[in-house]
Amino acid sequence: MRNRAIHIRLIHKWLGLLVGLQVLIWLGSGLYMVLLDINFIHGDSLVKNMQQTVAIPQNPATDMAGLRARYANATAIRLTAVMGKTFYTVTTPDERVLIDTESGNVISPLDEKTASEIARFHFNGDAGVKKASLITSDPPMEIQTRQLPLWRIDFNDGYNTSFYVDPYTGTLVTRRFQYWRIFDFMWMLHIMDYQDRADAHNLLLKTAQASGLLFCISGLWLLFYSFSGRRRKEPDRP
Amino acid sequence: MPFIRKVHKWVGLLIGIQVFLWLLSGLMISLLDPAKVSGQYQARPAQANTQNLPSGSLLEPQELAQDQLADALSIELGMNRGKPVYRVRHSDDVILLDAIDGSAIVTSQMNAESLARQDYSGDGAIASVTRGMAPDMETRNHKGEYWRVNFSDHVNTSLYISAVDGRILERRNDFWRVRDFFWMLHIMDYAGRDNFNNALLIGIALIVIWLGLSGLIMLFSSFTRYDFYFLNVFQAAKQRTVTLIDPEDGSARELKIRRGANLFLALSEQGTDLPSICGGGGDCGKCRVKLESANLPEPNPTEQGLLPKALRKQGFRLACQHHVAENLRLHLPNKS
Repeated sequence: MRNRAIHIRLIHKWLGLLVGLQVLIWLGSGLYMVLLDINFIHGDSLVKNMQQTVAIPQNPATDMAGLRARYANATAIRLTAVMGKTFYTVTTPDERVLIDTESGNVISPLDEKTASEIARFHFNGDAGVKKASLITSDPPMEIQTRQLPLWRIDFNDGYNTSFYVDPYTGTLVTRRFQYWRIFDFMWMLHIMDYQDRADAHNLLLKTAQASGLLFCISGLWLLFYSFSGRRRKEPDRP
Repeated sequence: MPFIRKVHKWVGLLIGIQVFLWLLSGLMISLLDPAKVSGQYQARPAQANTQNLPSGSLLEPQELAQDQLADALSIELGMNRGKPVYRVRHSDDVILLDAIDGSAIVTSQMNAESLARQDYSGDGAIASVTRGMAPDMETRNHKGEYWRVNFSDHVNTSLYISAVDGRILERRNDFWRVRDFFWMLHIMDYAGRDNFNNALLIGIALIVIWLGLSGLIMLFSSFTRYDFYFLNVFQAAKQRTVTLIDPEDGSARELKIRRGANLFLALSEQGTDLPSICGGGGDCGKCRVKLESANLPEPNPTEQGLLPKALRKQGFRLACQHHVAENLRLHLPNKS
């Protein structure tokens, strides 16, 4: 009878050729994602002033009633703080508007200077703004799901930090930097969706996983053969 | 190479089971349909909140109870279930205040049931409703009180509804529960099922990476170009003659073997199984044969570890460690 270990070993060897590299990529990308703290990846260390409390305007230039009259189709009116000051954000089915509570003036869409100031206000560091650009279409992959337009404010900080500021609410929508982008790349490698980096149920992944599972089972099986009947080296006889 | 093999074997022995669990859980998570896991498959599409604010008299923020507004991050006048309300968001909770009389709004059990029925499109009925004061495993991403509305369907759907503003917090069912179990196995956070930066996972991952790297190195050494001979269908294989000598009567038998083939495997293919436990892995040292050849191959480090020097000098080698390069004579071991 032929030794069964021969077959298992051959299966393990050829599956290793087939999916071994992907298993290594899973291990490597997994290790990166596990080692770096997810809050750091989210950029928590890049920002400050993120929990601004709202001061209720005592003598606003216009009140909620005035705004309801001005925007008859408003679905919501929100008081928020932007750079320490209180503003109204009015939402209607057609638009969003940012209004200064002191003057009653519409200040949206925010210009480049104001958007940069907001980004600086939230940036936890000394680096200056390198570049500001208004993204109105074809968003980069890192803000794929966000509502446009957005100001992208790039900082000169060595981590390629980008802050995304909403020109209609003045909020810092999200922030991205080198470690996030590497994480996102690792995630792509991990789920094998090289197009959108989002579909963790694709056929390629499932095929690789099933092959990887067989690869692993054959390896575990081989352990029985590799560890049984071990013997010490026989003594060298003259 | 014996060292690399040792690393591979021992890491495999110690935590091969976890590698198996990673692959299995990864596969299970991929196989489960995300629409089923999220419960979307039996949820009615949410209606966009396009209800206009009423034009009548409403309270201004200054007229609300100011202690409710302290430290608010945002205060929004909007519509909730047909009524104008102020939604006051703090860093860890949300409260709703009636925009007409300023009273705090909560979602009653009756409200929760009707909201659940509006959302749920499956074929079950409400079986029970319980109140939760703090997040449990199924609502772990939320703070604040909630209603859990359980439906009597075959996947044990539970809708979690905020006891404050009546939002659907989560739609849970057995698909999600199975998925969550495998997720727990995948990230090795058995308590919270949330933190993939945990020390256990980091430690195991740092060890297992050596399994992968040692495997990669062995991949290069365990394949030779002769393994891919089958791809080259037009070129006839070069053959070598291996003469097997029977230990009992000294009789000889000739075998034709493809040049470059692994000696141990080639003999096995032709019906001559040498003693072996590991099956050609270079672990057990049992496939020893005495070779006679014009160019006797040097013993490699694996053989130096498994064969006594005296035997090596006599021409003993491990068949699994050599490829057939030249014609050679080979003394089979005693059957005993």
